[in-house]
Amino acid sequence: MIVAARRLTKYFQLKGTGIVGGGLSLKAVDDISIDIKEGSIVGVVGESGSGKSTLGRLLMALLQPTSGQVLFDIPDDVLAEYDKYIETNQADKCRKIEEEYSIFRSKGKAMKEMRKQMGMVFQDPYSSLDPRMRVEDIITEPMLATGYLDPEKARKRCLELLDEVGLPRDFAFRYPHELSGGQRQRVALARGISTLPKFLVLDEPTSALDVSVQAQILSLLKKIRSRYNISMLLITHNIAVIAYMADFVNVMYAGKVMESGVKRDVILNPTHPYTIALISAVPGRARMRQRIILQGDPPNLVFPPSGCRFHPRCPVAFELCGWTADEVATDLDYLVQGKYYTTFQGNTQVIPKDALSILIKGTNSIQLSEMIASEREKMRSLMSIANIKDTEEGVLISLSHFVTPKMYNLDNGKKVSCLLYSPEVMATQKGAISGN
Amino acid sequence: MQQETAEAGRWENLKLSISVFMANKSAVVGLIIVLVYLIDALIMQFDPMLLGIHHPDVLVPNFLNPVPLPPSPQHILGTTYPGIDLLTSILKAIRIDLAYSFFVVAVGASVGAVIGIVSAWASGMFDEVIMRITDIVFSIPYLILALAVGFILGRSLWHMSIALAITWWPLYARYARSQTLSTKEYTFIEAAKAAGVGRTTIMFRHILPNVLPPIFIQISLDLGSIMVIFSTLAFIGFIPSANIPELGYLTSLGLNFVQTAPWALIFPGLFITIFALAVNLLGDGLRDVIDPRRRG
Ligand SMILES: Nc1ncnc2c1ncn2[C@@H]1O[C@H](COP(=O)(O)OP(=O)(O)O)[C@@H](O)[C@H]1O
Ligand code: SF4
Ligand SMILES: [Mg+2]
Repeated sequence: MIVAARRLTKYFQLKGTGIVGGGLSLKAVDDISIDIKEGSIVGVVGESGSGKSTLGRLLMALLQPTSGQVLFDIPDDVLAEYDKYIETNQADKCRKIEEEYSIFRSKGKAMKEMRKQMGMVFQDPYSSLDPRMRVEDIITEPMLATGYLDPEKARKRCLELLDEVGLPRDFAFRYPHELSGGQRQRVALARGISTLPKFLVLDEPTSALDVSVQAQILSLLKKIRSRYNISMLLITHNIAVIAYMADFVNVMYAGKVMESGVKRDVILNPTHPYTIALISAVPGRARMRQRIILQGDPPNLVFPPSGCRFHPRCPVAFELCGWTADEVATDLDYLVQGKYYTTFQGNTQVIPKDALSILIKGTNSIQLSEMIASEREKMRSLMSIANIKDTEEGVLISLSHFVTPKMYNLDNGKKVSCLLYSPEVMATQKGAISGN
Repeated sequence: MQQETAEAGRWENLKLSISVFMANKSAVVGLIIVLVYLIDALIMQFDPMLLGIHHPDVLVPNFLNPVPLPPSPQHILGTTYPGIDLLTSILKAIRIDLAYSFFVVAVGASVGAVIGIVSAWASGMFDEVIMRITDIVFSIPYLILALAVGFILGRSLWHMSIALAITWWPLYARYARSQTLSTKEYTFIEAAKAAGVGRTTIMFRHILPNVLPPIFIQISLDLGSIMVIFSTLAFIGFIPSANIPELGYLTSLGLNFVQTAPWALIFPGLFITIFALAVNLLGDGLRDVIDPRRRG
């Protein structure tokens, strides 16, 4: 494996202004494991804010992880051993392997050596090139900083690299502001591959460019990959870019990988409800599948949804997916104050009592049960209501417990983080699930 | 051959800078005025006889005819009390004002810039403490500090300049700090890290070249304001010995004759204003030159 990330987690500590915000953290990347094979392009796709760039920067050791490891250029048998040690909790044996392969353990000379083996291309070519440096100085910087070549040879190689990325040689003496967006991104790419790295992270390499230029950059990337056999992590929010470029895909949502597998398998045969929705939104595919429009907003990563992070927006969510009393109470309140106003006359009060129970005053269990029965298909949160009973204070609603999904292995090496594919959950739920 | 192309590139770049500057007509006017002041100051320093001036360091009074005279062929800008020729005095005063203003800005800017850049670069507790100190110094009005320094050390041009430099550096510290912080946020800093460039090298190769040029612009803009403040302090009486050619002091000499001899007030004041204005125009033009994006 060129790169193997294990249980990688990054929580950004929020700077507290006084009491508010103190000790809070934003869970940008949460427990992600990824493998990148020699010579393969691994795509990472997801909405903006889902943690893709953070993941890319972790894999480049530009950020320190909160926990987890990234192992670089590790033989497959050692990696298998490492995975075994993680599973059996043999921390000291893990540490031994980490000492040799972890990108976060390298310092000084070893760090420079590792930097030589990795490159990165950033999303915005307008801010990723120093406006006060000439193209030559930009492209030779990694070669000189890592001691890959001496200055004279580096300058020579810079000219060859300009040929390689399809720019005239006299661009070496220009400044970034004299170049168009596409040309700048070519310069950034030349910088990224200047030390012939084994691994390249491409963070939305075409998102800031005109559509006509995007295709040119992508085919240039393909050419470079086939010539040098560089492994790549391709980050994008555009599923079409993944479809064109990648060998493997990871679909990210709210800091977690929802589905991963071989590209064809994920794109033509999506499994996770989020992937299905994502793919249904790609224009050409709408004919094959009904377009699914996701309701609601991307989640707050400071207080991420419990259980499955996708559950507030999942069209097939069910009772185990992570519903909390607050979420259900909000939805119930919305119904009684809105569509069912005439039934309840606005006398009701919906009060979340604890994590899994809600008290509703000013009505009775029969009225509520009727409403819930007719709405639960559309309003998935109501699925989690396990029990409705009248008490002295009012109607007490208890919710079902929830389960947090893990990565479940399917055929073809596909992995999915959805309870619908959990063998244990499904064994106990036989037939009880609607909407699937 | 490669080297030659690089040289050619640099030369091209200089030509471009000059043409960008020249395109800004008012900046060119500003530059010319500033140059005239500068040349005058140099002449006064090295060979005042070139302009027929015998005593460049002192004002020459004429007690036989102390009342201000209007402009005439003998006294092109007239005279001020007590019988001092205005034109020659102004020519002498420009050197003094320019020198002390330079001193104040140079000391304030270098101290402030170093503190601001280091503070932003170090970040954390150090940054926090340094910035609080800066805030405290910043909140002292220059007039009060000048008064205090004058009271303790005695009133003199040097002490006045020191007081001004002390009140001026926090401005630069803040400016340099904010410039450094915003430069640190650019992706090219992260790209340099990804390229294996070390922290110190990033500072010198990427941060400073982006932070210093705007500070130089600020210096050129401030030169005008400092001269105004400096001469204001002199005007309100911060110069003890009454014989120094200084624009603010010269202006104050005409104060009692404002109704009968307005020129005695207007001319020295005008030379202060013109300099402040010219320096501003010049700074604007330089801003165009240093901003790579405005070169089109
Ligand atoms: N340095 C940082 N400090 C605090 N929050 C950050 C930082 N970098 C990213 N984030 C947050 O982490 C989340 C994921 O960001 P990012 O990885 O950039 O997502 P994507 O690249 O998928 O758009 C966002 O909510 C973003 O605001
Ligand atoms: S576990 Fe599966 S069904 Fe449940 S909310 Fe998540 S994606 Fe939807
Ligand atoms: Mg991003």
